[in-house]
Amino acid sequence: MIRLIRRADVTAIHSLVSIAVAAVLTLVISTIVLFLTAKAPVAALMQLLTYPYQGGTVIVQWSKALNMAAYLGVIGLGLSICYRANVWNIGAEGQFAMGGIGAFGTWLLLGSPTAWWAIPCLIMGGAFAGLLWASIPALLKTQANTNELLTSLMLVYVAAQTLFFVSNGPWQAPVRYSPSQTVFLPESVQLNAIIPGVPTFHMGLPIALGLFVVIALLVLYTPFGYRLKVTETTPRAARFAGYSPRVTVWAVFLLSGAMAGAMGAIYLMGDIGYVTEESNFLRGFGFSAIVVAFLGRLHPVGILLAALLLGYVAGGASWIQANLREDDSIAGFIEVIALMSTLASALFLQYRVQWRGFATQPQENR
Amino acid sequence: MLLKLKEITKTYPGVIANDAVSLELNSGQILALLGENGAGKSTLMKILAGLTQPDQGTIEIQGVDVVIRSPNQSRQLGIGMVQQHFALFDGLSVLDNIALGLPKIARSELRERAMQLATTYGFQLDLDVAVFSLSAGEKQRIEIVRTLLSEPKILILDEPTSVLTPQEADQLFDAIRRLADRGHGIIFISHKLDEVARLCDSAVILRRGRVVGTCDPRGGAQSEMAAMMLGSQLPDRTQRGTRTLGAPQLVIHDAQSTQGDAAIKSLTLHAGEILGIAGVAGNGQDALFALLSGESSMTQERALKWLDQPVGGLDPNARRSQLGWAFVPEERLGHGAVPHLSLTENALLTNLADPTFASNRLIHWSHVTQTAESIATQFDVRHAGLHRQARSLSGGNLQKFVVGRELIKNPTLLIINQPTWGVDMGAARHIRDAINTLAESGGSVIVISQDLDELFELCDTLCVINHGTLSPPRLIDDWTLVELGLAMGGQTTETIS
Repeated sequence: MIRLIRRADVTAIHSLVSIAVAAVLTLVISTIVLFLTAKAPVAALMQLLTYPYQGGTVIVQWSKALNMAAYLGVIGLGLSICYRANVWNIGAEGQFAMGGIGAFGTWLLLGSPTAWWAIPCLIMGGAFAGLLWASIPALLKTQANTNELLTSLMLVYVAAQTLFFVSNGPWQAPVRYSPSQTVFLPESVQLNAIIPGVPTFHMGLPIALGLFVVIALLVLYTPFGYRLKVTETTPRAARFAGYSPRVTVWAVFLLSGAMAGAMGAIYLMGDIGYVTEESNFLRGFGFSAIVVAFLGRLHPVGILLAALLLGYVAGGASWIQANLREDDSIAGFIEVIALMSTLASALFLQYRVQWRGFATQPQENR
Repeated sequence: MLLKLKEITKTYPGVIANDAVSLELNSGQILALLGENGAGKSTLMKILAGLTQPDQGTIEIQGVDVVIRSPNQSRQLGIGMVQQHFALFDGLSVLDNIALGLPKIARSELRERAMQLATTYGFQLDLDVAVFSLSAGEKQRIEIVRTLLSEPKILILDEPTSVLTPQEADQLFDAIRRLADRGHGIIFISHKLDEVARLCDSAVILRRGRVVGTCDPRGGAQSEMAAMMLGSQLPDRTQRGTRTLGAPQLVIHDAQSTQGDAAIKSLTLHAGEILGIAGVAGNGQDALFALLSGESSMTQERALKWLDQPVGGLDPNARRSQLGWAFVPEERLGHGAVPHLSLTENALLTNLADPTFASNRLIHWSHVTQTAESIATQFDVRHAGLHRQARSLSGGNLQKFVVGRELIKNPTLLIINQPTWGVDMGAARHIRDAINTLAESGGSVIVISQDLDELFELCDTLCVINHGTLSPPRLIDDWTLVELGLAMGGQTTETIS
């Protein structure tokens, strides 16, 4: 019989051990699957792990990972704030899309400027649009006690249809562009590459990093962060401390929506340049960010590492697809395995395992 | 003889839960098991359910000595138990819920047998509706039918009426009588004396793990039973000095929570007064605490007055910072303290509105740490470092910390629920002394407790809570044991007013 015994105290060492267990589990299971599915498993594994050094330009390859990590990190951090408060916002993908639409709309409202000052305006416009989009499930939850899992997810599809509508409707570009897209933002309103020739390493990345650090400090050191810590496991103690649950729901939804919206704006200005249909605009950052939040155990440092990991794995998977013609869906698979391993190893954070030998208790007939 | 317990003894570290408990149950008999919280009722039931084993003593079922090692075995021996809390799946239908936990059996046969049971015992039960749409009484019928399907000879009902309306309770009693008529032996666990008097034909009274008496509850033995539950005499109060009370501070008139789960008709609390609220567990103590602390809202702001100002609209933090009140809830882990946060972080929990602890943007950790240190030294909290999680402390030490966190502020009013629940003697002494000191320096205190010894030691005035409603307070010397027992058991006579 195996018994799980609750630990009296959880220390940093327990945390590190459980992360190590999760990492080993992920590596072992992913390797097995790669060996079962890949045509050339050894080469695929090697290249997946070391793809920046497999013949492409090193900095270009790294920047792809960092680019994706920036989106996943900031959106994931925003979502972790919701999850700590027991608010289940899974609609970051929609808030991200509305951020892109909001930023483009802001640009149109400002009279299609070409000056640099449009850039901060667009980021704020995107953040505001994401915030507005997130306020819908917040309103429904606080006023009508609606389940925010459902409403926030459903609004993703509404946002996706809105992308379709604006890029085929009011904002559709003249015929010389490809169909169903808006015009390009002018060069001067795009976030340019920091290193010439590496377009994915653009000005949006340091902006995202700055945003991440500010929000991480907010979560770690301020009274708001304390509020989250108290609310996370003990809503009753939160009430006792004088925190209104309603205010918490609003605060976390608006903050996470604004963060996803700001990243939508940065994506528009740094990576794509125009608004288009869902299939060409959305890359699933909002959903992968949910994984990142839990992979990082809802802690800012963990989320940063998880975002880098998933960014790197995605880069590696697309490399082996291009180079070895392997299936790049291995990236999604590794993402899921990492999440499952982390969740499973979290059990050992709270409990220790005791082996009591066989047959110390009579077998129940089940 | 259906069931015979002989000299059952069970000890847990530091407490004797059952001390040589013997009882007998015949077929067709409805036996009441009466006792306060902590009297040992649950331990005895756990032993019968096979969840734990006694240290000493024997169990005899129909004349045969048995050892009950597991819940399964308990069921096979013919013991059926209907728990106070339902274990039902809300999304499944009634029939699906009944089928769960039973050996494999054809649906049609199960349906037929369940319907038959329901008609035999006069239950109305629609087998095809989903459980979430049902009332508490209907859910309980599912539990009862599920238990009866395993054909128990002995049926144990653990406070079955606590969630029922009076009409539902009447229907339940009819069914119980029919079960007894058909030869089942019934054990009815309760602390509602009037129900016991109506339903049961014998009663066993437990107090502090021991059987303190048996009686026939029919025919006006209620005050006798109450006295046995509470002890043979009121605690000695001679060592306690008299205190002179100050001016009225807190005046409550017709206060009611918005959810309707707590109400106070009228109450006045003076400076330096310790008011006790006695009552059997589950009579709305938590709701009353939440009403006083501001965790639940009240219908009228004016119902609660502090120094002639209406304060019923203030939230817990406003009551703390503007009025100087302090609160200690019953539940230490998860209400009064956050289990996974450190002691230092927990020192902040009730001081968030105090600018010396935290501003809008920053927490003043040096001040928080200092406070945590002084709490630990002044209240003798033994800990392995203030950075350790609150849950790593023993119950007594954590309680000293939580009480100390409030008392160190020198509150004008302290509201404390079960101050020494599950706490060792030394810590209890410390906490009671600290409460006395506060009252002597002019602070007012409301103590909610189920421990009469504690209330009689501490309080100047005492009232009783029953079904969420508070009786008017009286000077503690004016209560007699019989009146107190009746009031706690739900019998409000004209003399108690």
